[in-house]
Amino acid sequence: MELEELKQTWKQSEISTNKNLDIMELIHNKNYGPLAALKRAFLKEIRMMAIIPLILLLTNLNDIGGVLRSVMFWSYVAFCIGVVLFASYNYRIVGRMEEMDGVVKSNLEQQIHLLEKRLKWNIVGIRIAMLYFIILTEVIPYFQHYRSLELWHSISPVARFSTYAILLILQYFISRKVLQRKFGEHLAYLKELVKECREGEGAGL
Amino acid sequence: MQKQEAEKEFEKHIIEYELLLRKVCRIYAYTNADRQDLFQEIVIQLWKAYPKFKGVAKLSTWMYRVAINTAITALRKKKDFIISYEPASLPVHRSDDNLSHTEEEQLRQLYKAIEQLNQVEKAIVMLYMEERSYAEMEDILGISQGNLRVKMNRIKEKLRQQAKNY
Repeated sequence: MELEELKQTWKQSEISTNKNLDIMELIHNKNYGPLAALKRAFLKEIRMMAIIPLILLLTNLNDIGGVLRSVMFWSYVAFCIGVVLFASYNYRIVGRMEEMDGVVKSNLEQQIHLLEKRLKWNIVGIRIAMLYFIILTEVIPYFQHYRSLELWHSISPVARFSTYAILLILQYFISRKVLQRKFGEHLAYLKELVKECREGEGAGL
Repeated sequence: MQKQEAEKEFEKHIIEYELLLRKVCRIYAYTNADRQDLFQEIVIQLWKAYPKFKGVAKLSTWMYRVAINTAITALRKKKDFIISYEPASLPVHRSDDNLSHTEEEQLRQLYKAIEQLNQVEKAIVMLYMEERSYAEMEDILGISQGNLRVKMNRIKEKLRQQAKNY
């Protein structure tokens, strides 16, 4: 098979084009790619986290003063703000990953860099959230009384801190495994593409 | 520029370069439904990137970049980034009225052989067949001209070997 001989045939070959192609309809369509789906998921997360404190307030309308004085409520608001900030960061990163007008090789390298950065911060983010709740669980009983927390504090400190340590260790492995399962294959695919681009580099000099 | 004006100008460009985009879809997607999905995805990405297009690169170069980037990264949408088809199970291409039976068969074999190449090689061979210069290929793919020549020789050899096996 000689490509030179087939060039003319390639040029003559027609690919059926759509005579009634409606470009405007296409561009106003909802983007359904994986990155667009991720962006939608983050947007949903942001909205959900913004609504949850309001729902908590609405469901406790009969004791709104009590809720507003509750350390637990404000801790939860702080957690929601943290999640919103983190989801916004993820949303921005995915937005940058959606840019497709760069040179192919650089675009792939950029995608790998952003995805790895996002995965790393995801694990760190979950760890921070867990540490935050562990600290709250330990500190809140000194300021306010909650029956469930008092029950937890009736257990010996060694048992409590061992449980926290196990949870943190499990979180590290589970988060890694989940993220690897969700994005690992895509990351490996992108790396393979960069490898394909780099193969033979220097050979043509 | 007004939005409507931009939309009209963009529409004109897409109609002008529709064949270029369809060829990318033909190379990277194997079923009609996948090709249609990919075409739509490419047009959406082009529209998103259009406000940033400043005319530094040729319009066709810019279109190839967006189309190839989209094809190799964004098509993998099914089953959480897992490719849902295998080249071996693909349907035979539709008859082409412009070509003789022999030419049609040659082209069918060429597409079949291209399907066996990796994603980057597919882009290189397509640009080569479209008679794009190595300088333009470098602008699109970011692979040096020297390396592109080496890769092109390897691709030719691969295709020759594959032709022997048919």
